[in-house]
Amino acid sequence: MKLRLSLAILAGKITAWVSRFYGHKGSSLPGVVARRIYHGALRDLAAQVGRGVLVISGTNGKTTTTNMIVKILGDAGYKVTSNLEGANLITGVTASLIKDAGIWGKLNCDYAVLEVDEASMPGVLREVNAGVVVLTNFFRDQLDRYWELDKITGIIHDALHKQKQATLILNADDPLVAQFQKTTSVPALFYGLGANDQSARTGAQTRDGKFCPFCGAALDYRFFHYSQLGLYSCPGCEFSRPVPQVEAFEPKVEGGQTRCRLVYDGREVELAVQVQGLYNLYNALAAFSVGLHLGLDSGPALDSLGRYRPVTGRMEVFNYKGKLAYLNLVKNPTGFNEGLATLCAAKGSKDVFIAINDNDADGRDVSWLWDVDFEMLGEDHRLFNSFVCCGLRGEEMAVRLKYAGVPINKVSINANMHQAIKSALAGSAGAAYLFSTYTALWPAQKMIKKLAVEGGAAR
Amino acid sequence: MIRVCHLYPDLLNLYGDRGNIIAFQQRCKWRDIPVHVQSVNRGDKVCFRELDFVFLGGGSDREQILIATDLMKRRDEFAAAIEGGLVVLAICGGYQLLGAYYLNRDGENIPGLGILDFYTRAGERRLVGNVAVEVSLNGVPFKLVGFENHSGQTFLGDIRPLGRVLSGNGNNGRDGLEGVWHKNVFGSYLHGPLLPKNVRLTDYLIGLCLERRGLNKELMLLDDDFENRACEAMLLRLVHRGNKLFC
Ligand SMILES: [Zn+2]
Repeated sequence: MKLRLSLAILAGKITAWVSRFYGHKGSSLPGVVARRIYHGALRDLAAQVGRGVLVISGTNGKTTTTNMIVKILGDAGYKVTSNLEGANLITGVTASLIKDAGIWGKLNCDYAVLEVDEASMPGVLREVNAGVVVLTNFFRDQLDRYWELDKITGIIHDALHKQKQATLILNADDPLVAQFQKTTSVPALFYGLGANDQSARTGAQTRDGKFCPFCGAALDYRFFHYSQLGLYSCPGCEFSRPVPQVEAFEPKVEGGQTRCRLVYDGREVELAVQVQGLYNLYNALAAFSVGLHLGLDSGPALDSLGRYRPVTGRMEVFNYKGKLAYLNLVKNPTGFNEGLATLCAAKGSKDVFIAINDNDADGRDVSWLWDVDFEMLGEDHRLFNSFVCCGLRGEEMAVRLKYAGVPINKVSINANMHQAIKSALAGSAGAAYLFSTYTALWPAQKMIKKLAVEGGAAR
Repeated sequence: MIRVCHLYPDLLNLYGDRGNIIAFQQRCKWRDIPVHVQSVNRGDKVCFRELDFVFLGGGSDREQILIATDLMKRRDEFAAAIEGGLVVLAICGGYQLLGAYYLNRDGENIPGLGILDFYTRAGERRLVGNVAVEVSLNGVPFKLVGFENHSGQTFLGDIRPLGRVLSGNGNNGRDGLEGVWHKNVFGSYLHGPLLPKNVRLTDYLIGLCLERRGLNKELMLLDDDFENRACEAMLLRLVHRGNKLFC
C-alpha cells in the first residue's frame, strides 16, 4: 500500500505542477488524480497528522474561520496544513494534504485545518478522524444544487453521529447548528453573540430556520442578529439557545475594524479584528473557541486574530487614488444582506459594483437575489452615487435594484467587467463597494489589482 | 384599490417567490393604482371573495403538506371565488396543489384541492434549468423566461396550458406544455421569479384585477428597459434564432 500512496502523491504533485504551469488556479485536480490511483490517500495522510484534524463546515464563513484558525495555530508555533485556497470538496481536501506530504508518503504536521463543503462532510469524515468539528451556520445556498436545508442538516447529522471522539464547536445563536449537540450527543462547546443595540426584535429578512428542529413549532425570539441567528427558545419543547462558553457583547464597527467585549471562563477581554461585519465577528469567535479548546493561551490568540487580514473577496480592501474599495464575495441571501448592512452602516457616499454570474459554481438559479433585502438601499438611496451591474445576469441584478426602489438613473448595466469596475472605482463617491458571485470574483480581483493598490492605507 | 393576498409567505417562500409580489405591487404603485397586500398564514382569517389577486408560491415537501392541510379547510370558498373571477398566480408547489393529487415516489397519494383538472406524479429525475415558454395573451404571442426546479411531473386533463415550451422541460418534460390557465387562474413551474422580468404577464394580471374591480383596465406604459433586457438576455441564450425577439 505504501507504494500506491507514494505513486498517488507523486501523480498529484505532478498534476499540481502542470496545472500551475498552465496558469490554472484550480486546486482540487491533484486530489482527483491521486484518488484515482489510490483511494486511501486521504485516509493514510490524515492518520499521520500529529495533534489532530480540524474540520470547518457550514454555509457562510467557512473560509474566513479556517484562515483565522490557521493564523492562531501558526502564530503559536505549530506546523499547520490547510486547504487555504477554498477547494473544499473531498478532492480538494486530499489535494491540500498531498501538497504538504513527501513523496515517500510522510506528512509532517501538527494540525490539519480543513474547510469542508456541507455535502462533502460524510465522505470526508468517513476517511478522516476529526478531533474538532466547527459548524458556522446553515442558510439557504445554491438551491438548484441542494434544494432543501432539511436535507443538508440531515446529511451533517448522519456524518457527525459516528464521530464520538470529536468535540463540536457550535454557533449557539443558530438553532440549525445548535441542535447538533442534542441530536448527536457528541460533546460541544458553544460560542455566541449577546444582545446589542443592532439586534432586532423582529425582522423582514428571510429566515430559514425559524421552526424548532425537534418539534416543528415556530421558535420564539427575544432578539435577532441576522437571519435566524439570535436568542431563541421553543414554546413546544425544551429546546432553546444554549449558554455559550465564549460570548461577545457590544460589537462596534468603526473604520474597517470590528471590536467587542469577550467573556469566557469568567474572564473578560477585548477582541478587535481588522474586518468588517457581524458575520466576521462570528468567525473570530469560532476560531477563538477552537484555540481555547486546544489549550492555547488566550492572549496570543487574541493578538493573532487582531493581526488577521481578510482573504480574497471577504471585504478585502484596496486603495484607488486615496478612495477605499472593498471586494466582497456573495453567494446567498444571508451573506449578501450582511454585506449590504455593512455598506449601509459605513459613513459617506458610495459607488457600488455588483457582478452576478450563474455558472455551476455560482448556482444556476439566480432567484435568490429576490430574497436579498435590497430594499434597504432603496430606502435611503441618497447615500449611493451609482450602481453598476455586471456578469452573465447583470440585467437581472439591475431589475432587482429597480424593484427595490433604487432610482433607475443611478443604475447601469455594463457587460464589460473592466469598464464596470473602473466606473465604480473612479466614481465621485467617497468609497467603492464591489460584490461578486464566485466565478466573477477572481477576474474582478485581478482587474482591481491592476487599477488599485492592495490594503487600506495610502502608500 | 386592488386587494392582494400572499398565501403562506412564512412557508411557501422558495426561489425568491416574494419577487412576484414586489413586482405586482411596484408596477401598480408606479401607475398610482392603490394596492393593499395582505399576508395570510396558517389559521389566519381570509375572505377570498373580497380579494382580487392571490399569490401561492412553492415550498419544500414538508411545508407543502402543512399548507395543503390548512388550504383544504378553505377549499370551497377558494374554488367559488375562482369561478367568480378571482385572479390567481400559483408557482411550482402552489401550482401542484390546485390539481387533483400528487403521487409521490413512495406511491403515496397526496390529495390536492381538486379545483383544476390535472394531476402530478413524481418523476425519476429532477427537472432543473432555465426555461423559455411561448404564450399568447389577448391574441398577442410573446415569450416568458424563468427557472424551473421540480421533481413532480404534471399532466393536464381537459384544461388549457399557459404556453408551449421553447426550451427546458415545463410541466413534465414530455408533452411540450407548460403551466395551466383556467379563467383568471395561472399556474406555472417558472420561478426566477416570474413577474419581475415578464412584465407583459404582470400587466395582464393587473389589468384583470382592475376589470374585476370594475375599473378601466387600460394601463399607463412604463419604462421597461431593464426588464426587457433581462428577458432578452435569457432568450438569446435559450432560443434566439436570428429573428426579432418579442419579450
Ligand atoms: Zn421544540
